Amino acid sequence: MTTTSPTRLDAIADRIRLRAVRMVAAHGFGYLGQALSSAELVGALFADHYEPDRDDLVVSPGHYIIAAFAAGPELGLIDEAELATYGFDGSRLEAIGTEKSPIVDLVCGSLGSGLSGAVGFALANRMADKDDARVFTLISDGELEEGQLWEAVLFAAHHRLGSLTVILDANDSQVDGPVSSITTLEPIAAKFEAFGWAAFDVDGHNAEAVSTALASAIADPRPAVVIGRTSTRHGLDVLPPDADGHFIKLPAELAQAAIAELEARLA
Amino acid sequence: MRSQPYATVLKPYGRALVDLAKTREDIVCLTGDLTRQCEIDLFQDEIPERFIHAGMAEANMMSMAGALARRGHIPFVHTFGVFATRRPFDQIVNSIAYPKLPVRIVGFMPGVSSPGGPSHQAIEDVAIMRAIPGMTVIDVADAVEIAKALPAIVDIPGPVYLRLKRGEIPVIFDDDHEFRMDRAQVLRDGDDLAIAANGMMLSAALAAADTLAAAGVSATVVNVPVVKPIDRTTIAAVARRVPAVLTAENHTIVGGLGSAICEVIAEEGIGVKVARVGLNDTFAEGSRTAPSLFAKYGLSTQSLVDRAWALLGREGAAPVVEAIPVAEGEYAPV
Repeated sequence: MTTTSPTRLDAIADRIRLRAVRMVAAHGFGYLGQALSSAELVGALFADHYEPDRDDLVVSPGHYIIAAFAAGPELGLIDEAELATYGFDGSRLEAIGTEKSPIVDLVCGSLGSGLSGAVGFALANRMADKDDARVFTLISDGELEEGQLWEAVLFAAHHRLGSLTVILDANDSQVDGPVSSITTLEPIAAKFEAFGWAAFDVDGHNAEAVSTALASAIADPRPAVVIGRTSTRHGLDVLPPDADGHFIKLPAELAQAAIAELEARLA
Repeated sequence: MRSQPYATVLKPYGRALVDLAKTREDIVCLTGDLTRQCEIDLFQDEIPERFIHAGMAEANMMSMAGALARRGHIPFVHTFGVFATRRPFDQIVNSIAYPKLPVRIVGFMPGVSSPGGPSHQAIEDVAIMRAIPGMTVIDVADAVEIAKALPAIVDIPGPVYLRLKRGEIPVIFDDDHEFRMDRAQVLRDGDDLAIAANGMMLSAALAAADTLAAAGVSATVVNVPVVKPIDRTTIAAVARRVPAVLTAENHTIVGGLGSAICEVIAEEGIGVKVARVGLNDTFAEGSRTAPSLFAKYGLSTQSLVDRAWALLGREGAAPVVEAIPVAEGEYAPV
């Protein structure tokens, strides 16, 4: 793990936001909220912990692939210019992740199945004696409504898959509205702990806190989850307060204001 | 071919999988809590380091198997056919089939072979697996086919659904029987009609052909273990030289073997009448024993004879199938 100043991590998160705004602006709408809420989570992971040649990266909710694409240039995993093809016909950068999606080892359009894939990778690593390899999995809080996810949580604990680290974007957002208004998930950390996992509950927009929690999660011998408390509008003050977190409308004028806000902060 | 009643063996699949896995380090074995019932207690005992108990969690099991396949393993995934297909359908589609991964899904206890009622009777598994792009679907008839099918499927690049009878498995074919992924086999020749069957209905088809022959009706019998991709060549050749085709499957007549054969016959432009034996768009029910369900829902040997008789428009009552005396450990067709 490299030591990184909070300023550097914050800048990485804002660069993820800026790239995501540009990718979505080309269409006028899209999965921007997912990138805004997970920018620090993915940024801290990429900057301080994830090593692509050694580790596996799973993005369970396919809509979050925008965050992995936008973070990709930080590790040289994708050419910055290719991001402009996001969502267009024929591009491998599809808006909902598929088998064509670069950067990740697995992305799942059908929600709630990514952790099962991560469990499979962790088992395969164990059978291959790859003791250093880690499996990082980004999941969203809405996915906790799917039963399959808890099947995987049970399996991982029983089989002591300590190489698993879950980054949970608790942005309280799903298609029909706030997750908390639809299904009570709390206490999330206590649920994971009761299932035999280590859980670290942090402000998901405090990049340094996220990185520290990830270090603790990695060090813990149990499978571990870092729960990042986030917002789908964080880091973009120009967004209207009623912006739909799942699928944000970004007309040209708003996009220009968003780009200006982020460029000013990164200057 | 051997004659009825057939001798039976126990755990031919479990034995064949262990034998194959001993020569193939890439095979891993997954179970959904029905280990002995799926004959893989043998694998658990002999190759425990490659045995993964997923618990009663089929969705997780399928997605996990997909990830293991991405890492170079060939996962054989086991549970009853109902739980192997209905419950984790989305996971089979997204985690296995769409990425074209070599996962082998093995579903035991097909159709009404279970007296356990609709929750345990896999009556549409062939149909839904057949609908998945790139999925190979196989329904084998006996212990010899099982043992020969395993080496034939292990290196198929994409996913496979293998449907297997549970418990005592008849031995129908001779040891030198040839199993081919790309060939249905004409087991006997006749001019009056053709009966195409697989799985548990194959022995019933052979028995029905015997009864029909005694009544002056000569039937071709075709064994079609590979439902997808189906052997169009053999089926079309057979259908062209008979006036009627009867299909027989231990499954709903919607979407399974009967449908697949109708598709071939229609697409080849062959004008031949077809009747499909199988569950006629209905669920069955629980019972004390399975043979009563085969009889009630029109899947018995007598049902095949009756349907053939009607299909050919023969006068008078259909010939009666004589019951074959069965000793302990022997198997007679349903």
